[in-house]
Amino acid sequence: MDKRTPWGRVVTRSSITGVITVAVVIALWFFLTSVTGIVGQYRFPSPQDFLASFVRLATEGYAGGTLIEQTLQSLWLVACGFFTAIVIGVPLGFAMGYDRRIEAFLNPVFLLLRPIPPLAWIPLAIVWLGLSDGSKILVIFVAAFVPSVINTFTGVRNVDRTLVEAAKVHGAGTSRLISEVYLPDAAPMIFTGLRLSLQASWTTLVAAELVGAFLGLGRVLSTAYRDINTAMILVAMVVIAIAGAFTTILLAQVEKRVIKWRTT
Amino acid sequence: MSDIQFDGVTKVFGRGGKPFTAIGGIDFHVNDNEFISVVGPSGCGKTTLMRMVAGLETPTDGEVRVGGEKVTKPGPDRAVVFQQFALFPWKTVRKNITFGMRSRGASKAERDEAVAHYLKLMKMEGTEDSYPHQLSGGMQQRVAIARSYATDPGVLLMDEPFGALDAQTRTIMQEELVRLSHVNPRTVLFITHSVEEAVYLADRVVVMGRNPGKIREVIDVASTRKAEKWSEEPIDDVMEMPSFTHLRGQVWRLLREEMGEDI
Repeated sequence: MDKRTPWGRVVTRSSITGVITVAVVIALWFFLTSVTGIVGQYRFPSPQDFLASFVRLATEGYAGGTLIEQTLQSLWLVACGFFTAIVIGVPLGFAMGYDRRIEAFLNPVFLLLRPIPPLAWIPLAIVWLGLSDGSKILVIFVAAFVPSVINTFTGVRNVDRTLVEAAKVHGAGTSRLISEVYLPDAAPMIFTGLRLSLQASWTTLVAAELVGAFLGLGRVLSTAYRDINTAMILVAMVVIAIAGAFTTILLAQVEKRVIKWRTT
Repeated sequence: MSDIQFDGVTKVFGRGGKPFTAIGGIDFHVNDNEFISVVGPSGCGKTTLMRMVAGLETPTDGEVRVGGEKVTKPGPDRAVVFQQFALFPWKTVRKNITFGMRSRGASKAERDEAVAHYLKLMKMEGTEDSYPHQLSGGMQQRVAIARSYATDPGVLLMDEPFGALDAQTRTIMQEELVRLSHVNPRTVLFITHSVEEAVYLADRVVVMGRNPGKIREVIDVASTRKAEKWSEEPIDDVMEMPSFTHLRGQVWRLLREEMGEDI
């Protein structure tokens, strides 16, 4: 009965219900905007306006670039900020979880930096690096850094002590302890951190591009807002959602491949 | 030689707070290839005693020597089988069994041979590439025991290894352990709550007392086992033999005295 989609999801009764719900919402949207005009086009676009704006963005472009250019720009910034953050954050969190002296040394810095919302860094980043890519990458880095450090730290600190002892009594040295016990045991928590970092990256990217950018989906959003182009605003929102979901699915695929031993 | 010597071994926990003497001066010698069961009321320090042999705890006073060498840290000459199996969930049966062998630098051929050997011995052929969560509790503990044996340690330390298993599986495992220690004799320190298990498996049963943890009495089983030919009978028949019930009663009486008002 069940069919598998390319995402490995199973088509079930509940997903059929989901399709029906979406269909009803679109029908209602069509009814309220195009058919009756209860909601005017300056408040919310009709489905036709939405499609027209999408085609316009995809073909002739908007706010300095086409759909592909704008999306790739945003993806590129997210990738730069996210990867820099996790490449530094995960080992740092690991070291803090593994060695209490390193934790004692670094924790005060975190206690000072953590309460600052990442978006509050935007003005300083712009003063330092202008409206370049660098300032956005910096802000994304700050936002994505904290979750990857904290979750890796927690995962390593809460390692199963019995497994550590089992490895020690079977002759494992420090390098095997780290690579064959601490790392796999903390892996699910590390991936939780990566997921939160990725979410934070997208949130921050949009905010940073809204404040000032020459290209990117946030720039499409801010330009459309100045033009009071509700259809284009909606297009940008939907594209950001799809791009974000795409990266999240990608990360989930990596996780599935790394954590093969999952018990559930 | 892998004998164990306890020399005035004392362990006090809780620096700063109220100190608690878990082990109060134990002198005892375990012979090479001897199987020792340790029973005692909870809180008598039997697990602490084992952990000091493993090198997971350090005595506050006195010392533990294995094969004449003072124990300071864990080493591949002493392997532990834990009550909760402690298999690596991210490693297959094969990788779990060979974990300790790799510490010793065993070649791939040696490792493959050991995996085949132990899985055959435990009637678990074909599970090489399974992950622990795909196996039953009894099978997981067999893998854990194989992991410890495969490391080829002089001393095997077992901390209530069958405590988490159901009654039937437990009985089968006890029989298998007897078989295994015939094929591969090792010095074994076996901690248990079960008097039957202790008497059935051991050459000598150590009964411990508490406050502080100490050795109350040591009961010889090996001579009876040999004279009554226990190893030729199935476990349930052995447990009904008068020679067995007599020793079991003896251990029980000592334990009951030690437990005192807890019963």
